[in-house]
Amino acid sequence: MNPDSINPAAWSELWANLAIFKDAIWAAGLAGALLGFIGVHVVLRRMVFASSAIAQAAALGVALSFWVPALIDPIGHAAGHAAGPMAHLLPSPLFEPVLWAIAASLLATLVFIANPVRLHLTRESMLGFVFLVSGAGAVIVGDKITQESHDLAAILFGSAVVVQTIDLYLVSAATVVLLGGHLFLWRALIFVGYDPMGARVQRMPVRALNAFLFVSVGLAVALCTRALGALPVFAFSVLPAMTALAFTSRIGLVFVLATLVGAFSGVAGFAVSFRAELPVGATQSATGAVLLTAALLWRVVMAQRDRRRARNQPPPVSAGSAGLTTSAASERASTASAPRTDAA
Amino acid sequence: MRTALGLARPVTGTIERRPGLRLAYVPQQSALDAIFPISVLDYVLMGLQGLGNVTLVRRGVYLETARRALAEAGATAFERRQLRDLSGGQRQRVLMARALCTDADLVCLDEPTNALDAASEQEILALIERLRTRRGAAVVMVTHLVEDGLERADRALLLDRDHGVALAATSAAMRAAPEFQHIYGRFVGRHGHGA
Repeated sequence: MNPDSINPAAWSELWANLAIFKDAIWAAGLAGALLGFIGVHVVLRRMVFASSAIAQAAALGVALSFWVPALIDPIGHAAGHAAGPMAHLLPSPLFEPVLWAIAASLLATLVFIANPVRLHLTRESMLGFVFLVSGAGAVIVGDKITQESHDLAAILFGSAVVVQTIDLYLVSAATVVLLGGHLFLWRALIFVGYDPMGARVQRMPVRALNAFLFVSVGLAVALCTRALGALPVFAFSVLPAMTALAFTSRIGLVFVLATLVGAFSGVAGFAVSFRAELPVGATQSATGAVLLTAALLWRVVMAQRDRRRARNQPPPVSAGSAGLTTSAASERASTASAPRTDAA
Repeated sequence: MRTALGLARPVTGTIERRPGLRLAYVPQQSALDAIFPISVLDYVLMGLQGLGNVTLVRRGVYLETARRALAEAGATAFERRQLRDLSGGQRQRVLMARALCTDADLVCLDEPTNALDAASEQEILALIERLRTRRGAAVVMVTHLVEDGLERADRALLLDRDHGVALAATSAAMRAAPEFQHIYGRFVGRHGHGA
């Protein structure tokens, strides 16, 4: 963004109306931080489409929460429509769309917890299966409930300009509980993801840890999708982790950076969308993409610098003159010329 | 090996394990995903995780043990480097350091000399020998280095699906077995070990 084009009055307008937008800004920041942290596992385990597939499952859950009441009591449902726009909704909390979204998300995560190797399938293909079944289901069920299509679209994609207070509470609670759990278990989750066989041999609770990871992904995605919309949720769960992995090879720092980049993308994206009058979710996603692009460029520059340094170093001492075995000499040379971007 | 490690059910029969038996598994290098940014020290520290120490929250307490294992494996020099950036020989030494770190009673190694040059092969075999002699661990190793394997092992298990062979024997008896001679007779015994 060109700094010259920034209108101070517009920024001050955002500041003046902070009371109106603060819930949305908090929700974006918290969701970005939570999904940024969890996203590191998602990216490292090569399941970047997990959040997309779970969001589709949440969509199907929301559609079903409208359709099932109409199926159970079609006459009452039709009478409700005649009485008013909201009168047809059943008063039972059982048909609260958020609950159905969470239930459908958790059901979808069961597919990931099951070991697809036994079925001669990859986890990636199972993600595709969940995405397609949920997407097709949401479209088919959505077609049956045309009267509520506007409500459905609002719940599916959210309106991050103004976030309902209850959604902010849910996102806040999810951030505290899930992020707390992940902070406690991050080393265990990395071990289980990196070397699952070794972890099982050492009697790590591999299935329980994987279940925690997938359930936390399902819950975080379902709640954040309801508050912010599907696009930024997918972006927050992938782009900050990629950015952090491009910046550093220190695993602990990767988690810290991904959390900060996710929170920054949410808050800064909201501010930029307000100033430039752009769609909020798309702007937050674009902010994450800009940060990732910058990180990748930095990585390329650093790699070139390391290659130049390696070329300028004197050649290693020959094995014979050093009195070393060939492999020991070559390994020592390899140690000396390696880039030092990987402190423990 | 998966069955012995408790990762797969036996097809028939049962496996009895002494209570408290500590196991360690050294995977093939190719099984480790290079996308993970895991430092050498962090990898060795994983050997100290398990039931009763799942989270490794007090990491500092275990650093000394991990560093001792790295020193024993001759891998101290690359403690701060990324596992994915190491050469095959260096990486295998780090994998061995994790096995040393576990202080296991039974160590299972899956082709530890795969894709290594001759010098690294001998270094790794020497490290495995040290596991046995100094630590007193029982070692089960899958290998295609028949000669080297028989030279060091007390007992050998020959499994060959193509020839329908499953034969367990002492190393000396294995060399003399007709099934072994039929499959490997042409390739072993070049140094006077053959039947």
